Amino acid sequence: MRPRLAGLGVGIVFGVVLSWSGMTAPDVIRSALLFEDSYLFLFFASAVATASIGLLLLRRAGRVAWTPARIERRHVTGSLIFGLGWGVSNACPGPIMTQIGQGIVWGVPLLAGVLSGVYLFVRRGEETEPASDPAPLRRDRAVAGAA
Amino acid sequence: MRNPQLAWYVAGPLLGLCVIAVRLLFNARLGVTGGYSEIVDRVRHRSLVFDWRAWLLIGVLIGGTIFALAAGGPDFHGYGWLTRDVGDVWVAPILVVSGVLIGYGAKLAGGCTSGNGLSGTSLLSPASLAATATFFATAIAVNFITKALF
Repeated sequence: MRPRLAGLGVGIVFGVVLSWSGMTAPDVIRSALLFEDSYLFLFFASAVATASIGLLLLRRAGRVAWTPARIERRHVTGSLIFGLGWGVSNACPGPIMTQIGQGIVWGVPLLAGVLSGVYLFVRRGEETEPASDPAPLRRDRAVAGAA
Repeated sequence: MRNPQLAWYVAGPLLGLCVIAVRLLFNARLGVTGGYSEIVDRVRHRSLVFDWRAWLLIGVLIGGTIFALAAGGPDFHGYGWLTRDVGDVWVAPILVVSGVLIGYGAKLAGGCTSGNGLSGTSLLSPASLAATATFFATAIAVNFITKALF
């Protein structure tokens, strides 16, 4: 029960921040991608910088570990397909959920599409996630590393 | 009421802290697509017992609702350039197709804007850096093309 509750808690914070930063509005995303507004890029870069510094410090402390994934063709082709959908709708999976949460009806066709797209993929029975850490270090190995 | 946009130097680090929290809690990436995937996979096998990834996704939805209740709902009507420049009847079908591309593409690439873009990039993962560069470039190109065409 606790991991689910923790996941729910992080999700709520994530959803509030996505909504508060305006990511729910397609025009906010579009104006960024047309280089008319810098907010998205500053927001994104500061998120990556914070996570990166925090994770590197935690790794040095032996609390977390990961194995970076090598580039495969699917990372590029998948992101091309993803970028087409994102570019047309100016919504990605997180903001689609906050659209639904905010009661925006346009989120419904988007959600139906995403669930169908995911279904088309997972019925093949391949698991592609996570791309960036295929051999996660478990807590016991992290403890051994710290010892 | 027009919603105030949280300053990027507050919003960005908060999102970064979410990524760190997921790594500490689950030794995993924060990836929103993983939540969709978990729900689709469980329902496909006739189960409604979801793991933390699905609950994170449900949390994102609740976060949207909490914000709407606190700040007075979304500050826009219609759906961006689609309802402005494309016929109304086309918007929903276009959004369904976009959603399919988003869902399928994110699964193939092993992550979306959060899984590859935020989490993978902050790990300096070459795969995620390539994915992030690709989807940003593609989405930028699509927006310039649609702006020129419509």
